[in-house]
Amino acid sequence: MHCPILIAVVIWSSCVDSQKIRGISLSYKRFYRERKSFLCIDGSKLIPFDQVNDDYCDCADGSDEPGTAACPDGRFYCTNLGYRPHYIPSSRVNDAICDCCDASDEYNSHTACQNTCRNLGQRERAEVKSQMRALDQGLRLKQQLIEEGVLTWRDKQAQLRDLQRVLDDLQTQLDDLRKEDARRKKEVDALRELEIGALETEENSHRSHIMNESPVSIFYELDSNRDGRLSAKEVRAKLTDIQDGERVLSEDEAVIRGRVPGRLVKGEPVLKAAVSAAEKAAAELKKVEDAYETVYMEIRDLREKLATDYGPEREFLFLYNQCFQLKVHEYFYELCPFNQVTQTSASGAEVSLGKWGSWAGSPQHRYSQMKYENGEPCWQGPTRNTVVTLTCGTETALRSVKEPGKCQYVAEFQTPVACRPALRQQGVHSEL
Amino acid sequence: MAAFIVRMGPVLMLWLAVCVSGSWAVDRGNFKTCDQSTFCKRQRALKPGQSPYRALLETLELTNTKLTLQLINDNNKVRLLLELYRLQGNMTRVKINELKPLKPRFEVPDVLINDPPTEPLSLLSQDENGMVLSLGADSQRLIVSAKPFRLDIMEGREVLLSLNSRGLLAFEHLRIRKDTSLYQIKTKVNSMWENIKWVFSSLADPEGAEKKEETDAASEQTEGEEATKEDEKVEDGMWEETFKSHTDSKPNGPTSISLDFSLPGVEHVYGIPEHADTLKLKTTDGGEPYRLYNLDVFQYELFNPMALYGAIPVMLSHSPQRTMGLFWLNAAETWVDISSNTAGKTVFGQMLDYVQGSSETPQTDVRWISESGIIDVFIMLGPTPTDVFAQYASLTGTQAFPPLAALAYHQCRWNYNDQEDVAAVDQGFDQHDIPYDFIWLDIEHADGKRYFTWDPHKFPQPKEMLQGLEDKRRKMVAIVDPHIKVDNSYKIHSEIRSRGFYIKNKDGGDYEGWCWPGNSGYPDFTNPEMRAWWASMFAYDQYEGSRENLYTWNDMNEPSVFNGPEVTMHKDAVHGNWEHRDLHNIYGLYVQMATAEGLIQRSGGVERPFVLTRAFFAGSQRYGAVWTGDNAAEWDHLKITIPMCLSLGLVGVSFCGADVGGFFKSPSPELLVRWYQTGAYQPFFRAHAHLDTPRREPWLFGPENTALIREAVRQRYALLPYWYQLFYHAHRTGQPVMRALWVEYPQDTATFSMDDQFLLGRDLLVHPVTEEGARGVTAYLPGNGEVWFDVHTFQKHNGGQNLYIPVTMSSIPVFQRGGSIIPRKVRVRRSSSCMEHDPYTLYVALSPKRFAQGELYIDDGHTFSYEKQKEFIYRRLAFANNTLSSRNLAPGSQFTTLSWIEKIVILGASKPSKVTLKMPDGKESQLEFDFDASMSVLTLRKPGVNAGVDWTVVLQ
Repeated sequence: MHCPILIAVVIWSSCVDSQKIRGISLSYKRFYRERKSFLCIDGSKLIPFDQVNDDYCDCADGSDEPGTAACPDGRFYCTNLGYRPHYIPSSRVNDAICDCCDASDEYNSHTACQNTCRNLGQRERAEVKSQMRALDQGLRLKQQLIEEGVLTWRDKQAQLRDLQRVLDDLQTQLDDLRKEDARRKKEVDALRELEIGALETEENSHRSHIMNESPVSIFYELDSNRDGRLSAKEVRAKLTDIQDGERVLSEDEAVIRGRVPGRLVKGEPVLKAAVSAAEKAAAELKKVEDAYETVYMEIRDLREKLATDYGPEREFLFLYNQCFQLKVHEYFYELCPFNQVTQTSASGAEVSLGKWGSWAGSPQHRYSQMKYENGEPCWQGPTRNTVVTLTCGTETALRSVKEPGKCQYVAEFQTPVACRPALRQQGVHSEL
Repeated sequence: MAAFIVRMGPVLMLWLAVCVSGSWAVDRGNFKTCDQSTFCKRQRALKPGQSPYRALLETLELTNTKLTLQLINDNNKVRLLLELYRLQGNMTRVKINELKPLKPRFEVPDVLINDPPTEPLSLLSQDENGMVLSLGADSQRLIVSAKPFRLDIMEGREVLLSLNSRGLLAFEHLRIRKDTSLYQIKTKVNSMWENIKWVFSSLADPEGAEKKEETDAASEQTEGEEATKEDEKVEDGMWEETFKSHTDSKPNGPTSISLDFSLPGVEHVYGIPEHADTLKLKTTDGGEPYRLYNLDVFQYELFNPMALYGAIPVMLSHSPQRTMGLFWLNAAETWVDISSNTAGKTVFGQMLDYVQGSSETPQTDVRWISESGIIDVFIMLGPTPTDVFAQYASLTGTQAFPPLAALAYHQCRWNYNDQEDVAAVDQGFDQHDIPYDFIWLDIEHADGKRYFTWDPHKFPQPKEMLQGLEDKRRKMVAIVDPHIKVDNSYKIHSEIRSRGFYIKNKDGGDYEGWCWPGNSGYPDFTNPEMRAWWASMFAYDQYEGSRENLYTWNDMNEPSVFNGPEVTMHKDAVHGNWEHRDLHNIYGLYVQMATAEGLIQRSGGVERPFVLTRAFFAGSQRYGAVWTGDNAAEWDHLKITIPMCLSLGLVGVSFCGADVGGFFKSPSPELLVRWYQTGAYQPFFRAHAHLDTPRREPWLFGPENTALIREAVRQRYALLPYWYQLFYHAHRTGQPVMRALWVEYPQDTATFSMDDQFLLGRDLLVHPVTEEGARGVTAYLPGNGEVWFDVHTFQKHNGGQNLYIPVTMSSIPVFQRGGSIIPRKVRVRRSSSCMEHDPYTLYVALSPKRFAQGELYIDDGHTFSYEKQKEFIYRRLAFANNTLSSRNLAPGSQFTTLSWIEKIVILGASKPSKVTLKMPDGKESQLEFDFDASMSVLTLRKPGVNAGVDWTVVLQ
């Protein structure tokens, strides 16, 4: 006979108990041990214990009403057996909206909440499972991509070295060519000076005539063998019909008189040849200089690209030189990582939504977001920019592009390299 | 946004072109000055002086309900008919029309809620110079002076108000254009017709001789008219007017009217919204008159008399002795000139000086000018502000009683892009524990701006979205504008077109103009059949994707026409028998009326509607809420929200608000927070932002600002019972919710120009912080011998003083009047619906005489049952002789609530030894209490009584 009574008492007391402790977690139970009085957890006030969860807020910290909506900033603990327990603001207790999956928040409202924790738990576990599978696969892929990245990196480094070598060769050539060029120029200059010196000593009658001849053409006339130099022979040959007092031209004279222009210069090829040689040298130099410039730029670009932060293991390197597209209604978006984001409308007009800026994730997860800045300016507004959030997945693809604020775009970009082993930890934590 | 530009196509480009040229301020050149509006120029050229009008006393007819009297203009012999009514409730109505207009002149329908009941007038004395009539009991006399014609209303020996005392009555009679051949023919036919009439009447009537005399007189008059008309010069702009590239064809020629009013003893006049100006109206001498012409003004400027989106032709005058009102019932373009004798004495002022032997009497003179229609003016004689509100309410009705949720917080943006965006914002509010009731969708939600539809990509499942909000007990507003995309595949357009419901252009075709959708038609909302059809479009089976928790926003209903003159409709557009010119200002009212009717009908008349409008007119208060249009994120725009909403409140529109944060531009976090704090204490509380601005949901400015905004919104939610009760009052009596201080302190001249603070009802005084970087504000606490309690600290301050209040970013200076009881619901939840059954906390602020009084109003919060089935609770809460009691104020009503009294906070109390709760059945119980001696605050713990029953609490 005692047994049923005892059971009844146990049930009764547990009922009372459960009502008193409604809305608290196990760890807080010690504060709510049934006594004569209750001390607000912040110690501010001592109240009779029957004022705990009596739907009137006595404690400034709300600790006397964990199970009702009476206190302004209180919180209610959803036990959510079978799912994840969590706190909700106590203002959500008995507001006719089911917040806890175990329906414990709506114990006194007209809404009949179903306990959905088991289903939620199952669904979440399944989800976590598939996520974990995806994560594992993603991490494997990531490893491959990292390895590929290493190879690419090496390739690029090798390419860089090759280019450097080419550049060095070109540099050597350049040095030679520059010397040659300088020499040729000097010669031409010397020849010209020669002419000018002769000019100065010549009679006035000649001078006026000479003045009409350009030094270069005179040189050319003298330089018959077109070697860019004037020899005495060359000059003498040209001087045959000069009305010289002695009618004889010594070697010395030839050199000195060679400066004498006028009819002497006509048809003389020495200077001409010198100029031609100098031009040739200059052209050669230009060619090599251009080549040098090209290679130099290539190296600079490559260096710049190699200087980009591709992640701690250079895992993002494989995205280099790739582009990813997505069509959203009438718009066509293209993300070229580390380069730019563009939008093309149905009419074909392309708009830049930003150029590669920087990694922009939180300090803990720097590589979770990319920022593309300084796109096409907006009417009466700033320039367009795009924040790309990277998410873990087995494929590499642009998943979504949105414009939550005018000209502020957000994109989701899925890729295995965004998978982090730490995500597994999170998944495990949420697994019940 | 490329998407936007592409979709808007040429319209936007056109509009942008207009806008860009104006950069960041209103382009004044787009809007007319008085000089550019030829009728205003003509009328204003007329200076005060001797009126050409003479009353023909022999034509006087006095019946039980009205007096009629002919007036003649001695210059052109045109006769006018004056009708004068004494209306119940201390009002006088004066109507002046042409005695024999060529065709009827427009009289504004649908504004008066009924034919105002009259009281008999009696003739006291009469001689050849005039007559004296009795205006009912209050020793009020109406003096009609014959030559020149004028009216004076007197009480005892004092002149309250005079009409035409400055001789500015001017009535441009309808006439036939002289330079047309039609005119030549008509004048011939007319005189022949007169002759034929005369022949027949003298033959048919045995008393023909007498009649003949009359007819002779009439034909004489006609001839006289002809003669003088010939002399009337035709001025530029009488028969055609061009502004910028737009020509107004004016087929009826000049039709404007004008009348002056003198208000002796008055230095303060208010009202005639909508203007972005101070509460107290300024004199307009030497400047522009205040303009009333509903216009879509891009980036409006502050502190000037330019017209804005709405027009309510009602002016209040106030002095310590008396408050009065003038209601000029005319829906055409109207200009109001105000002058005061401080600037220079008028003729009448000098006369008054002579009569009263004083030269110091202040006086305000007002002149109304309208482009067409008739003179129909209601003189509301007060004498108190409350009386004037009641008088105006008896004419045009009271504020619609909104659903409770509409008084809560609204989250809007142009635009919430798609369903996911809506869901994310909704989630954001929950994550940050900020309550909200309504999320709004602007024009981008519709499929190519075809209202009543949804963009199939962005909002593919509107019902599911609305259900998602309903699950959180929240609601949505979607925009429905009155411009309809001209597109034969769009059902709304093709139906309106086939039914002939569009407004017509002057040539008889459907009027078309540019607006958001591109080429658009404008439904003729002045047509009752059109309104009925429009209302039927809100039925759940017509408006696809709609649900019970979807409400409506009417924007652009001035109407806005991007390529029209002054960005609105051509005045020679045609509404049935009338020109758009005649009724422009009432178009917006009709749009909201038809929409509100649609929302009522879709629920079978059960649910209260909620419709927001930008354009409005006298009577718009009956249909919902208004907001102050496209303001900007600037501190001055925050400040101007106070006078703008106070002005609207004075003329019946209590449900007023401004875009929190400012529509154009981007607010600094400080401005945004201050705007939330101000908006939380203004009637319509909605945040809104322009498409071009960065996102500004409350949690985007760091945790500190989020907390500040959360707190402001929470204060609003806690106070919702009081707001609801104030709106119930406004609905019942016409008293404004948000009140200028002078309304409650009519003798206190210090309050007369005050518009940086305001009262909510009688009992809360709000002085929001509207200065950047403010360290403190100086609030004026009115009422000598009264006390005010800071609602946050409970500190008591004496009335009749300027009080300096140091402020921080969290400060919202609000005071409760000693002598009042305010109910709050301090358990703030995620939406107002969630708080429905929550208990009340009563804040009892004792007067120095230890007295307090308040009310408690409760109903279901959303249906008409309060009206139809008397399902409501209305109780008087009173504290006197240390006893607080709740008793029923509406014995005929019945409603049960689950809400109870959770707590009673008595401010300015002394410590009792015992507190006893007594129930009507004799049951008594002791209440626990807590007394804070430093602030004299007594808190009674958990009375626990149901909020709908009688109870008494005795302090001993």
